[in-house]
Amino acid sequence: MADLQAIAENVINGQAPAVSEAVQKAIDENIPVQDILHEGLIAGMNVVGVRFKNNEFYIPEVLIAARAMKAGLELIRPKLLEAKIKSSGKVCIGTVKGDLHDIGKNLVGMMLEGAGFEVVDLGVDVAPETFVASVREQGIQIVCMSALLTTTMASLQTTVEAIKAAGLTDNVRVMIGGAPITQEYADKIGAHGYVADAATEKARELIAEMAI
Amino acid sequence: MTPKERWLAVLNKQSPDRLPTDYWATTEAHQKLLAHLNCATDRDLYTRLHIDRAIAVSPRYRGPTLGKNSDVFGCQHKAVQYGSGTYNECISHPLAHYPSVEAIKTHYIWPNPDWYDYSHLPEQVAQWADYPIRGGGSEPFLIYKKLRGDVQAFMDLIENPDIVHYCLDRLFDLAYTNTQRIYETLPGKVDLSYVAEDLGGQESLLFSPQHIHTFLLPRMKRMIHLAHDAGVFVFFHSDGAIHDIIPTMIDLGIDVLNPIQWRCQNMDRETPMKDFGSQLIFHGGVDNQHTLPFGTVDDVKREVRDNIEILNQQNRYILAPCHNIQAVSPPENIVAMYETAHELGTSIS
Repeated sequence: MADLQAIAENVINGQAPAVSEAVQKAIDENIPVQDILHEGLIAGMNVVGVRFKNNEFYIPEVLIAARAMKAGLELIRPKLLEAKIKSSGKVCIGTVKGDLHDIGKNLVGMMLEGAGFEVVDLGVDVAPETFVASVREQGIQIVCMSALLTTTMASLQTTVEAIKAAGLTDNVRVMIGGAPITQEYADKIGAHGYVADAATEKARELIAEMAI
Repeated sequence: MTPKERWLAVLNKQSPDRLPTDYWATTEAHQKLLAHLNCATDRDLYTRLHIDRAIAVSPRYRGPTLGKNSDVFGCQHKAVQYGSGTYNECISHPLAHYPSVEAIKTHYIWPNPDWYDYSHLPEQVAQWADYPIRGGGSEPFLIYKKLRGDVQAFMDLIENPDIVHYCLDRLFDLAYTNTQRIYETLPGKVDLSYVAEDLGGQESLLFSPQHIHTFLLPRMKRMIHLAHDAGVFVFFHSDGAIHDIIPTMIDLGIDVLNPIQWRCQNMDRETPMKDFGSQLIFHGGVDNQHTLPFGTVDDVKREVRDNIEILNQQNRYILAPCHNIQAVSPPENIVAMYETAHELGTSIS
């Protein structure tokens, strides 16, 4: 009998092979993928998030946990598509022009995927026009951008302006993140969402807001 | 007092004639400032803004020919444009795919201290006899991240501790011998060495205290002893929220703490001052994430005044930007920082 709690434990401890094995077992036993995702993988990452906040976990512990969660997600992704579960929303994500630092961006992308969002990963050093094209061509509802560097914060603003200039402001919300970012800065450049962590809750809020 | 005497007064817990200042800037920001002030040389700039710049000396590379865009460790770099300038970002990680210490030993050639020439250092120092001299030091985990890639380097602390230990030994040995040769070439001339490692993020430490103790502290301690034995002050640099590890660093023997990134968790100037003010010299403190790049001249002046009030209570502060001044920071803000520091720093000393 597959053990969803063991999946969560193995995510917490960053044991990617054990997560893969347990998730495969759960799939083979026809456990609903939604349960594997929520009671196994996401339950585990939620604990990781709490421990990180409490200074019990640091970057290395979070990274090995994230890798373990990703291993599980990859196994259930085809099943999630088959189950035709309604997507929470469609987002694109990337680090802005001039910025190659993607550790935070990758974690947020993975958590959004785990929360049921369709995630288009645009990678690093993403030009404003690439974000705009993604919104236009891929039906994106939320643009997620990150900037680790003070110098590349300007690219956040340039991209928000490019989205405005393309007349897409009504169709899309913008979430930003990165070490030097503050709520004040997000307000200043006209981004809709900034959170130091808990990006998935914010993304859900923004989607709900757009639905009104 | 000369800039050197001013620094030494602070480092030796005596009274300087005024608050010393230091200067770090990217090439682009530096060129902008030189042009803005019509200064022909670095020395003109330091004189004009009363900057007591610590002058860095380093050996010249004379080892095997390096590959295109490659550094001495075999890491390739790419110029990445960020708008007003470029950063040279590391894009290849020569040790990324080695599964074991044995594999690295078999395939990788570590840089050798003999690949460097130290003979020009006395001449270089002679040109800056009135300024503090810094040289040597270490920041090996920064190099380790380039060698393995950031994510792998972080995960190695948990999964491949033997690889981390082996590589850090090699990297610290290189730094140690380099530092030793600088001291030997310049006896009594070096005032400070950076013993650095970025341990903090915006909100907390990046690594657990246990990992810091296991991988870094014993090796940093060796560097600190080397410096102190040569009569050199130890300047510890770590970005970010590092409050929790500062007592350990004090025990290890650091003299100067840089940069007091006060917008980070528990680094709000009052807290480190209250907790460690009697044991350390503070260096830095002018915020480089918001105030210098995006603040007004008045914001900068206010921050300099606050920094001096909070951090300079016992003449144990050297004012400087929290890291390299970036090209996005208006030259007017930079000028305001140094002019205010000079005005207020002179009146209170």
